Order: sequence, then C-alpha cells, then structure tokens
Amino acid sequence: MNPLIDDRLAELLFRSLRLGDLADLPAFADHDPETFRLYVDACRKVGRQVLWPTYPTTDAEPPTLQDGRVTLHPETLRGFEHVRELGVIAATRPEAVGGQQLPLAVATLAHAYLMAGNLSTAGLAWLTTGAAHLIEAFGEDALKATFLAPMMSGRWTGTMALTEPHAGSSLGDLTTSATDAGDGSYRIRGAKIFISGGDHDASENVVHLVLARIEGAPDGVKGISLFAVPQRRPAAFGPNAADGPLEPNDVHVAGLIHKIGWRALPSLALSFGDEDDCRGWLIGAPHRGLPQMFQMMNEARIGVGVTAAATASVAYHEALAYARDRTQGRALGAKGGDQVAIIEHPDVRRMLLRMKAIVDGSLALSVATARFSDLAANGPEAERDRAHAILDLLTPITKSFPAEFGYEANVLAVQIHGGYGYSSEYVPEALLRDQKLNSIHEGTTQIQALDLLGRKVVAGGGAALRALNETIEAAIADARKASVDEAIIAPLEAALGEVGKLTMELGMKGAGGDLDGMLGHGVDYLTLFSIVVIAWQHLCLATTARSEDSDFHRGLVQSARYWAATELPRVALLAERCRVDRSYLELDPSWL
Amino acid sequence: MKILVPVKRVADPDNANKVKVSGDGTKVTSDGLEWKMNPFDEWSLEAALRLTENGSSKDRVGEVVLVSIGPKDAVQTIRQGLAMGAERGILVESDDDSLDSHVVAQVIAAIAAEEKPDVIFFGKQSADGDSNVAGTKLAEMLDWPLVNYAMAISTDDEGKSFTVKRELDVGQQTLKVQSPCVFTSSDRILQPESVKNGVTPADFAYPESEGGRYASLKGIMKAKKKPVDEKSLADLGVEAKRVNEYVKFDLPPARSGSTTFVESVEELVQKLHSDAKVL
Repeated sequence: MNPLIDDRLAELLFRSLRLGDLADLPAFADHDPETFRLYVDACRKVGRQVLWPTYPTTDAEPPTLQDGRVTLHPETLRGFEHVRELGVIAATRPEAVGGQQLPLAVATLAHAYLMAGNLSTAGLAWLTTGAAHLIEAFGEDALKATFLAPMMSGRWTGTMALTEPHAGSSLGDLTTSATDAGDGSYRIRGAKIFISGGDHDASENVVHLVLARIEGAPDGVKGISLFAVPQRRPAAFGPNAADGPLEPNDVHVAGLIHKIGWRALPSLALSFGDEDDCRGWLIGAPHRGLPQMFQMMNEARIGVGVTAAATASVAYHEALAYARDRTQGRALGAKGGDQVAIIEHPDVRRMLLRMKAIVDGSLALSVATARFSDLAANGPEAERDRAHAILDLLTPITKSFPAEFGYEANVLAVQIHGGYGYSSEYVPEALLRDQKLNSIHEGTTQIQALDLLGRKVVAGGGAALRALNETIEAAIADARKASVDEAIIAPLEAALGEVGKLTMELGMKGAGGDLDGMLGHGVDYLTLFSIVVIAWQHLCLATTARSEDSDFHRGLVQSARYWAATELPRVALLAERCRVDRSYLELDPSWL
Repeated sequence: MKILVPVKRVADPDNANKVKVSGDGTKVTSDGLEWKMNPFDEWSLEAALRLTENGSSKDRVGEVVLVSIGPKDAVQTIRQGLAMGAERGILVESDDDSLDSHVVAQVIAAIAAEEKPDVIFFGKQSADGDSNVAGTKLAEMLDWPLVNYAMAISTDDEGKSFTVKRELDVGQQTLKVQSPCVFTSSDRILQPESVKNGVTPADFAYPESEGGRYASLKGIMKAKKKPVDEKSLADLGVEAKRVNEYVKFDLPPARSGSTTFVESVEELVQKLHSDAKVL
C-alpha cells in the first residue's frame, strides 16, 4: 500500500518547523498541537483509505458532458463527500465564516495527503476555498451572507474564471464585459476557458469568480474587476439563499476540455451571457480585480507547490516499493547466482535518492512557506513585515520548484518501472501526466521567474532577499552548532553568496535599461535560487534529524549530502549563464 | 441509551514490522511505535455511535463513553474517539506491562459499577494480543448477557432490549437480550443498514465503509472541550495482578521475499506441492 506521504517526514516537519508552537499565537488559541496532529491524521486516513483507491478509475474514466451538463465519476462524488465532511474547504478560515482557524502550515501538511490521494477530488475543495476566500476578503456583507456559508460547507463549489481563449498569462488583454444593470448587479458577457470544476454534479451550485471589464474601464490590467457569477442565481440574497429557489443565470458549458492529467476534474470552456441575462456581483472596488486576486495568490501558489510535492511523493513511494520488489540482473561483476532486487543497482539508488531529495525538499518548502504566511497574517506584530517579505520571495519558488523538479521525479518513477512504467497498467504514467499541469496553472514557471527576479528580489531595495539571507544564515549557524557535516553546509554558504552577487549584477543591468539582459535568463535564475532554497530546507531537516539514530534519519542526512554535492555546484554554472549567455536573446525567430 | 466503549491503543498494524521483542523475549517493546486505535474497537465505537444518533440529522440521542487503560499518552486514542463523536472519556492510568485481559475486565467492571451503562461494547479482540478474552471475561464478572461477533443490532425501546444477529461459520443466529449487556462486533456491523435504533429513519443507509467514521476538523475541535476523567487503578479498587504470565514472544520468521512466475495452473499446483510443500 502506497503511504502517499512518508509519515515520518510529516512528523519531522512538525518538529523542525515547530508547527505546534503556532497554537501559542492568539489567532490559533483554540488549537493545540494535538488538534493539529488529529487533523493531519484524519486527512491521512481519508487520503489513503478513501481517495487513493479511487485514483486509477477516476483517471481512466473522466467526466462526461451531455445536454450541457457535466457528470462526474461516482467515485469522485463519493470522495468529495468525504473531503467536504472533513471540513477541508473552510479549515483555515475563521469561525465567523464557518471555519476552524487552522494555521495554513498545518492545513498544507494535512492536505498533502488528500492531494496525493486524488488531486482531482481534493482539487474541487481547494478551488472552492480560494474562491470563497476572495468573497470573504473583499465582498460586501450581502454577498458574504449569501455565498460564504454554502461555499464553506461545500454545498456550493467555486471556480476561478480568469483565462480567456486569447488571454491566459496576459490577463490585461481579457475582454469579458460587465454592464451595470442598475439593480446592484452587472450583466456579464464573455467566454472563459480552462475553468476547472466549472460544472459538475457534486454540488448544488457553482460560483465563478470572474474577471471582467466594466464598460468604460481603463485598458490593460488597471481596468479589470472581479465578480461573483453563480451558475444559478438565488431568487433572494441573504443567509438562507441556498435554501431558497435558484434560477438559471445564463452560464453555459461551451465545451469539455480533453486533457492529459487531472482527468477526474472537468476543465471547461464556459460562455457567460449568451442571452444577455447573466448577472454578476462586483467583489471589492471597481478596476481592482487583479490586485485583489494577487493578495490571495500566495496561498493559491503554495497550494500548487504542495500538490506538486504530493504528486511526486506518490510516484517516489510507488517506485521505491517496485525497486525493492522487482528482481532483475546481478551485482556488477557477479557471475551467476540469484537475481537481485533492482534497488541493489547503484543507478537505481541514484534515481531514488534524487526523487527523495526532490520530494522531501518540496514538501518541506511548501509547509515552511505556509508557515511564513501564518506569521505574516497572525504572527507577533513585530515579525509580520519580515515574514511577509520572505513569504513573497519564497512563493514563486514554492510554486515552481515542486512542479519542475517534481516532474523530473515523476519521470524517474516511470524510468525505474522500465517497460511497465510506460504502460497504463501501472500508476506512474498517470502521476506524470498530472504533474505537468503544476508548472502551467496559477502562473506558469516563466511568470514565476519574472515575479521573482523582476519584482520580489528587487522590492524594497532587496529587503526580502536580506531577510531570507539572515534566516538561512541562522539555519547555517544552528547546523554548525549541531555539528552537521561541513560538506552539507559549506557549499550552501558559497551558493548563497553567489545568489546575492548575481542578483546585484542583474539588478544593475535592469537599472541600466537592459531588461532583456536582466530577465532573459529569469528561469535559470529561478532554478538556481530554488536549488539554494531547497538546500536550506535539507539543511534544516538534517539538523533536526542528525541527533536521531534510525534509517529514516540517516536517509535525510544522505539526501542533504546528495543535494549539496550534485545540485549546489550547478548554481555557479547557472549564474554564469545568466551573466553571459545571449544565445536565445540574439536568436532571430526566422532562423528557426 | 448509554454505551461504554473500551478503546485500546495498539501498534499501527500497517507497520507491524516495527514491533520488537525485548532482549529476554518476555515482552514486546513499545519504543518508537506509532499507535492507533485497535481497529476492532473502532468497529464497536462506530456501532455505538450509530445506536446513539439520528443517522440522518446527525443529532445525538444517547451517550457514548470511552475508556482506555494505559500510560498518559493513551489519551490520544480517547481524543480520536471523541473527535469521531463520543461524548466523554475515562483514562485509567497504568503501564502497559501490568495489564492482561483479566486486569482489563476488572477495570471495566469497576467503571461499569460507577457509570451504569446499558451496553458495554468491546472490540472482539485486540489487533496486537489477539486474545479475544476481555469482553467475555467482563460479562462473566458482571453476570450480564454477552453477544459476541454482533453483525446487526436493533432496538426499538431506547436500548432496554436488543435484537442481535451473530455471524457464525455455519450461518446466522438471531437472539434477543435485555440490557445491561456486553457486545462485541464483527466487521459486518459496519454495513450500511446493520444498526437500527428506532430514531434514525428506517430507510436511511450509512455509506459503505471498512472502519469507523473519519473525524472532521469540527469534530476534532469539539473533542478538545469534551471531558476526559483520569483515574488510577487504585481509585477503582483494582489491583494490577495479572493472571497470565508471558513466557516468550517470538517475531515471525523473515519472509524470503522471492517471487516465482509460473506459466500455467498445472505448474502452480506442481510447485505448491513439490517446492513450497503446502499441498
């Protein structure tokens, strides 16, 4: 049985990130370390016992579209019912809106098990949390009274309807329109695409959070507003709206996307206002849609990070079990004798160690970033700004590293399975397909690179980078005190210095007007920065682990050694590429 | 209706390979084990919760009291049950080594004298010791009727009497008992319509499940405020005097772990006969 996530790692993260201490903050006073652990345990059980057994079937038999309505697989419905009852959607929200005020760090760790069990089913809840949170943060009281309770309980689900056929990463170019209807609502008209969970039979209603342009709004990103557009609109607003009649709201399914992963979660093309009778309600101020959306972005992107970590983790455990069980060949130089398990072959262990280092680092980073989010919102006043700066800086890395390197781990799982891995009878290929989305949705890796280098590291004159440096230097000091192997520490120290130097140089290029020179290698910069941040995570794990004497703890130290020996040396190489390589900057498209 | 459910923590059966035997072979060491509620107790707890609720509205209509005997951190097992929906808990402190089925039955009998439950719902056995004794012994001590391996239970008089179906190798047996009484359960008690309490609508069916219900976050938060009494063996007038002496524990022999592929049923039968010598 695949454990999905290593419980020992979850427990170690609990200790090394001192998640229990979060209960000492006034915001989380209703909790104690035991409620945190019980929730992780509850999610672990539902992930393993309910969701994971549904994964192969729901991947193989995607939802169907008939007469304009989408039908989910019965196993998805059953799984979602459990996820709903767990209280996943509102877990981190305050009691006043039906939640339990759980720290995001604890929720991130717990929900890793659900995402690992079946990301499509758990994804339905995750999307709803994001949509409801926007209404909670920016909606007027009447909207909150109407939408929040049914969404937080999962009676209604939510979506993010941003992308249009011609406007994906470039949201400033979207054209969906909103016209004041004079009764407090707007008439919405336009087309959206790739809307996950846009229609289905797991809830009574779907609330789309739609980005649209109010008539006469300024061009570009400064003219975009956010609307709540229910698929069916309540006849009357207020706390009992969900119990009253619902009328059609002129939202139509224009098509079901056939996709390679997340296959149990329908992704749709939707059209709004074909009959000019689609009503939306403005969330927050006019033209403030994007900034509002971005305030919620850190949370959504941490969600992608942990989902990617979970997807890689499942593949790692699948490959590990296979490598222990599958006998093939003999040790190098051995003549005759029984065949050995393939884990005895050095290169299989290389692949497994690489996967482990990626998975452990990704999960640790996701929970650590979520913890900064908790401290930024609910920590001691004096620490909030600093936590916020580090959160902002780590978010693009948390969003992209688990997705990009996790994909590599998923590829290795297929490789370890050999010919069987290439067959759909075995689960690694499905996980590989799922993983690919994580470098695309909620801001592609390329967008993350621009966010990190073009915005985050230069913000406040490099204040965030300094704050992160201090945090990593403190971890290095702790590690030295604990006599962690210098071979793990020294390369990190050197690489950290390299990041600082390179950032300064690229910043100067940008300031001098050479934006291509600064940002052209953004993804390389993101990669090298990620390698350093993951090395820091491994160092923290190794520091906590080194006093313990068990195979698991020795494994963590070995991952840290591996990362320091094979990945950190790449930092200097990638930095050099950022400085001098102009091959594709100077490439004329006509040469291709 | 008041139901007492004894819940034991056991080493996680999914990680049974972590169980170690002490150097002298006379006890199982508990160092570094991950604990779980005994799965058989979980079935009984689930049945007890179904007997004391309206399954459709989820309103509670009775009381479930959990008892666990063990060191202080055994309270986690009680909290888990409280998060599933039980009303309160009692932790009887004792170290694991001084317990056997006899001591356990004495403890529960002493608690029954204080609590006066209608039903004591045991797991049929514990997943670690596999003794299958405590429930039977308790019924004998209390001189209460005992129904082992209940697969279906119904009451229409709020627990004054029960109609219980038992699963036997040769078929099913239906009997009627008056409370107070002792039950143990079979896994079929978890089937969607195995428990009827006269409150849950007759056409209501629970979801298919292989264990107890999952705790929700809301349930976990509620559980934090539910009372757990702590008692000592002395408080209950029980002397920790085992009647069993454990002479020796052995771990199962390591599995060879080799896999042989066969081409046909004939070859399989032949190999089972000549190589594995199991036929």
